[in-house]
Formats: sequence, structure tokens, C-alpha cells
Amino acid sequence: MLSRRSLIVAGTGARLLLADPAPMIVTIVLPLLFGAFLLPSSRAQLQQSGIVNATGAEHVVPGLAVLFAFLGVSLVGTLFFREHAWGTWDRLRASSASTADIFVGKLLPLYVCLLAQLAVVFTAGAVMYGYRVTGSLLALAVVLALFVAVLVAFGAMLAAVFRTMDQAIVIGNVGGMAMAGLGGALAPASTLPAWAQAAAHASPAYWTLDAIEDITLHRAGLADVTTALAVLAGFLVLFSVVALARFRAEETKVGTT
Amino acid sequence: MLEIRDLAKAYGGRPVLRGVDLDVGAGEIVGLLGPNGAGKSTLISIAAGLRRADRGSVRIAGRDATRHRAQTARLIGLAPQDLGIYPTLTVRQNLMFFARLAGLGPSAARRQVNSTAEALGLADRLNHRADTLSGGQKRRLHTAMAVLHRPKLVFLDEPTVGADVASRAGILDVVRQLAAEGTAVVYTTHYLTELEHLGATIAVLHAGRIAVRAPLAEVIARFSAAGVALRFTGEVPHLPGWRVDGERLVPEAPVADPVAAAAQALVALGTRAGGLAGVEIVRPSLESAYLAITGQTAVAQTEEVVDALAA
Repeated sequence: MLSRRSLIVAGTGARLLLADPAPMIVTIVLPLLFGAFLLPSSRAQLQQSGIVNATGAEHVVPGLAVLFAFLGVSLVGTLFFREHAWGTWDRLRASSASTADIFVGKLLPLYVCLLAQLAVVFTAGAVMYGYRVTGSLLALAVVLALFVAVLVAFGAMLAAVFRTMDQAIVIGNVGGMAMAGLGGALAPASTLPAWAQAAAHASPAYWTLDAIEDITLHRAGLADVTTALAVLAGFLVLFSVVALARFRAEETKVGTT
Repeated sequence: MLEIRDLAKAYGGRPVLRGVDLDVGAGEIVGLLGPNGAGKSTLISIAAGLRRADRGSVRIAGRDATRHRAQTARLIGLAPQDLGIYPTLTVRQNLMFFARLAGLGPSAARRQVNSTAEALGLADRLNHRADTLSGGQKRRLHTAMAVLHRPKLVFLDEPTVGADVASRAGILDVVRQLAAEGTAVVYTTHYLTELEHLGATIAVLHAGRIAVRAPLAEVIARFSAAGVALRFTGEVPHLPGWRVDGERLVPEAPVADPVAAAAQALVALGTRAGGLAGVEIVRPSLESAYLAITGQTAVAQTEEVVDALAA
């Protein structure tokens, strides 16, 4: 799966992202900043629902981490579309790297960046806002790792389906925000209107945050979140199938430099 | 090294390539000429594996380039017509990336990066971001990325567009060196003097096919004729063996020595040459040959030998 050439492509992809770190910094700084403002209301809500020792971080930290992770998907712009704007896509394709090498190599840095973003936000949330889990840290890591894979597949789908970087980013951001909101990133899903609660099941954010809530508040381990993991795996397959079916290496994309 | 047979490609029903046959041997530089829209870049894209042909075959080093893509891709280098460099990476990072993709190990890649940068005058810019380079330096980097792994076959699609004089000379030197080392080069350009400097074999793509493929000297000898015209103000005198063409007197038949023909005509005209305004000499050239092959109107590359002799 990870050939030498895909790792070489990934290395350069990582350098490209590091050369323009602002988007990643935003997805780390903003959730920590917003957290300060949302903590009091989240604390009140959790205490009202019976979590007497709640700090508010139990919901705010995962919710904002997931919300801004969706925004991080826009990095596909740099990894795919900018190659067309820079004129490097065709010379990459003419190289010894196969289409699979390029596809996998482009997505690997995205996976690492989004995982790092979540890790930093959760860790900083623990330090700054007292986020703690009552359940299994391993389960938390597995849920987050699978959620990031779903995001990467979502990003791959955007890169495959849309012809322009602007289209991909706008749809990605709007779609991502909708999925995050429905999933309970901003307010607990249980507080949403009935129609939204029903629709939430169609969002990978819902299953992610539901599993994280169980791990955070209800001592859940890996065995307790298997349903959420299975559904997330389903989203991963769905987005991946669409991306692979639709991706055309020879298609000209429009990016900005 | 490169064998193209009966290559055809149409876009939206409009045929661009109608059955192209082209061979390029090891160490040969083929200058691929053709008007804008003739299909030169399309031909290169197909040969480099970026596009599929509607018909025909491409063989690289004896292997079918479509069926054996993995093996043939590592033999080629490509510098597309549009500049293709990573602006936010350094020159070294740009070069190392393609060296490693070409299969070079880390130390071999470093050596090739350093020597190619030296050859193209980029050695002192290796640690600078590519977006800080001048236009000419960017063109040299663009070319370097195609050649640094010493491919067996390299496609250079208008490599000197926008390059300054020094950059152009550096690129041509590298192309000559590559050919001397046995690389087959397919080189497109609208600057025909480059092909003369490279001693290239000429292939003219016209109406979807290779109309002519021959050494440079042969193309000029076969398709470019010397020419002369005497330009007059007022009435144009008549002279046997010459015909009136507007305000000019031109030979009825091709002349081998235009200067001698002009001198003989002026002697024969004597005092009737009083209205002479200028003498235009057209020397055989690749440009006039190319224009003749593609059926375009010859814009005479003239030397004004005698100008505006006032009465």
C-alpha cells in the first residue's frame, strides 16, 4: 500500500503543507480560543443533565476539535489542486510514480496533519480546560484515528469530484460544518430539534462524538464503541469508493497558486 | 529509443493528430516544429503517458509505453510547455523530489542535484525558495527537473520561453550534453535558430501528420530557396526573366545567388533603375523552409541591401 514512491510524494506533500502552515495553525488555535467562550454554557448544560462535576471541557474540547478538523480537510486544496495551478501535476504524472502512488502519497500528509491537529487540541484542552476521560484512552485513539481516515476519504472525494479548488473548499467547508453541527459539535445532539437529531445519524461527526462522549463520561472502552466504529468504517468505505470511482488523473483541475 | 506509429487523437470530434509516425534515436535531437495548435504538445503528452491516443502506439526503448508504463516512465524526463515548479519549496527540494522519484538513492540524488544545478547556473540558488528566482532561473529549474536523472528520452516543450539570453544558452548547452551522452531529445520551439545551434533533425507536424523529417541542412536545401526583389517607386521597369509584382520586380525562376542576380539585373536596367527604392535579399533559412512546408505566406527575412536611393 505504501510504496517507496508514495512515501516520497508524501514527504514533499508534507513540505508543501509546512511551507504554508497558516491553515493548520488556525484549526488548532481557534478551537482552543473558542473553548474559553463556550465552556461556561457547556458546563451548565452538562451539570443540568446530571454530570455534577462537569467542567464543560467534556463536550467543548471534542466538539470543537471535530468541528475544526472538518475545516482542515481544505488542505486537499494545497495537496491536489495547487499542483495544477503550479504546473507540477503533469510532470508528477509523467514521473515513475503511479497514479496510486500519487493518490496515496497526497493523502498521507493530510492524515498525519489532521491526526496531529486532533492530538494537539485534545492535549491542550486537557491542560487548559481540564479535559479528562473516564474510559479507555486506547478507545479514544482508535475512534480519532478512524474519524481522521473518514475525513481524509471525504477530502479525497472532494478532490475527485470537483473540478476547481474553490468548489471543493466551499462544498467541503459547508458540508463539513453541516456534518459537524448535526453531529453535536456545537451543541449536544440531544438538544437539537427532532428533525436534526434524526438527520444526525447521517453524519460521521455524530458517531465520532457519540463514541467520545461515552469514553469521556461513561467509562467506555473499545468494546463499547464498536457500533460507532462500524458506522465510521462504513463512511470510510462510502467516501473512498466515490473518490476512487470518480478520480481521473488526466482531468485538468483549476487551482490557485 | 522512441517509436511512434500511426498516432491519432481528436478532441471533441476535431482531429489534431491524424496518424503520426516519428522515430527518435539515442543521442538524436529532433526539433518538432508546427504552427500553434498543430498538436505538438498533444503528441508529447501522449508519448510521455499523460494522455491516451485514439489510435496508434508509442514504444520507448522497445517497450510498449502503455502496457509497460512503470518501466518506461523511469526512462523519460519531461519539461512541459507551462512552467512547473513548486514555488514554496527550495530549488534543492524541487530537484531532490524528482531525482528521488526517478529512483535515485539519497546520495546519488544529491550528487545529480548539485551537478545539474552547476550546469544550469543554479548552484548558488539551491537553498532559495523557487518563487524568489527570476523568470530565467525558473525556466532553468524547470528544465533541470526534467534532466537531472539523466533520462534516456527527454521531452522539452518550448523550454526557453521567457528565458533570458544566458538562461537560453545554458539550457541549450545542457541539451547538447545530454544528446552527447546518448539521450534522445524531442525539442519543440518557435525560436528556429535554437535548432540550428543544436544541429537538430527537423520534424514538421502539419495537418496532423509529420510532413517532413530530415536533417536540418537537407530541409533548408529542399524547401528554402534564395530570393531577391527590386523595389521601385513609381513605374516598375520591365526586364526579361523578371516579372512585376506590385511595386517590385522579382525573378520568374528561383535564383541560386540572389546578390549576383540583383547586380546583373541592375546592370541590365541601367538608367531605367532610376526609380529603385530598395533591394531585398532572401537567404535560404529554416524559417523560410518551415513556412514553405506548412504552406504559409513567406514573410521574407530580408536584408535591405540598398535602401531609398533618392532620385
